Amino acid sequence: MSDVFDVVMLTLLIATAVTVARARDLLAAVVIFSMYSLTMTLVWQHRGAPDVAMTEAAVGAGVTTVLFLITIARTTRREKP
Amino acid sequence: MRPWSLLLVLLVALPLVAGVATLPPHDAPDAPIHTQVGALYLERGVAETGMKNMVTAVLLNYRGFDTFIEVVVIFTALAAVLALPKGSAPVPKGSAPVPKGSAPVPKGSAPVGKGSSPTSPSAGAARSREDEERPEVASDVPVSPVVRFVVRLLAPFIAMFAVAMLFRGHITPGGGFQAAAVFAAIFIALGLALGQDRAARLVPVDWRPWLQGVAPLAFALVAWIGWRLTGAFLGYPIHDHTAQEAMGFVLEIGIAVGGGVILARVFLEMET
Amino acid sequence: MQPFGLDLDYVAVVVLFCVGLYMLVAKSNLLKKLLGLNVMETAVFAFIVTAGMVEGGDPPIMVAGTSAPFASPIPHAMVLTGIVVAVSVTAVALALIVQIHAHFGTIEIDELKELP
Repeated sequence: MSDVFDVVMLTLLIATAVTVARARDLLAAVVIFSMYSLTMTLVWQHRGAPDVAMTEAAVGAGVTTVLFLITIARTTRREKP
Repeated sequence: MRPWSLLLVLLVALPLVAGVATLPPHDAPDAPIHTQVGALYLERGVAETGMKNMVTAVLLNYRGFDTFIEVVVIFTALAAVLALPKGSAPVPKGSAPVPKGSAPVPKGSAPVGKGSSPTSPSAGAARSREDEERPEVASDVPVSPVVRFVVRLLAPFIAMFAVAMLFRGHITPGGGFQAAAVFAAIFIALGLALGQDRAARLVPVDWRPWLQGVAPLAFALVAWIGWRLTGAFLGYPIHDHTAQEAMGFVLEIGIAVGGGVILARVFLEMET
Repeated sequence: MQPFGLDLDYVAVVVLFCVGLYMLVAKSNLLKKLLGLNVMETAVFAFIVTAGMVEGGDPPIMVAGTSAPFASPIPHAMVLTGIVVAVSVTAVALALIVQIHAHFGTIEIDELKELP
């Protein structure tokens, strides 16, 4: 059972990372990056690292995402192809 | 899809996969990572440090120097952010850059209808220039009263949870960094929901230099105390659990307050 | 899981690292480059934590509910330090990106290269 969880989580991680790379809208990229951070939190909790998972949850959702959003608000929102 | 970049990534990926293939399976209990120093820490940690959370024991006690330097790193990051010029009204290409001290552009965090608006007299001209350059940014979007109410209701409970995590960091998962991140998240939520000036009063301006530097200062203080007690810089007296717990508390409070204020200050610098 | 003798978790981490590296090297937008750097950093943290885990192991906290075997505590401490360093680098880089946009009007490397 834990193998299925691992495979699903790792597939989700790679899929979200590739989506962040391909998104042209920077706001969408940042939101999907925060989803990547949340999935990473679940992976670490599953690996027996609750301290690391709590820190990544607080930092990824609270600090990094908000700073990215402030930067997008002050610069541009779309990436030129 | 740029071909040279793909080639570079392939050139990096193949040696990494080859190197990873030589490692033992990741969940084997007899891998070298579990049988050398880590096993000693797990066996003797509780008796030597008095902490039940081995990760906190390693962070503050066994590898305390690394944590000391890391709080200096985050302090340096704040210094770098503060060293950049303030004010970022956009200029058209080809003209002179905006001089330092120009009026900060008001952003959408000031709630409409309240009297506490942080605009300055010359911001009106700056705003018209920026609106025609960035038409897709919605400035001065009013914050919903539902959001304001919920944030103000939950903020004390979240702060209490952060303080509980901080003080129980030696017996449960938790500790200084987690509390610092949650403190910064509370500050950011209040800043976005209530407005910059009301949230900035949480960190009084007169105390800011000291609050931002409290993490390296706490480490220096505990290192000096450790030197007086044991003769080694940041030395913990083994088997004296009371002194070790006291030193650990001072360090954790320093990390939490210092780290939280630093992250909140970075948010303030970028938002205004 | 060990298809072809390769550990699946480690290979997934290498793939994530390469995705991040591609974003850092190939994308022209500075914000995308920074996102790629963050993906690389979290991939390295995942590698370190995965190397320190034990199958069915408990977190390294010696309370009544946990028993041997424990996950090793040293990788967790390293990753905590790494997360703080990653946040610091991200904060400084974002402040620089805002300043670059304020002075040059663009955050694309291709356009910045052509400025006089």
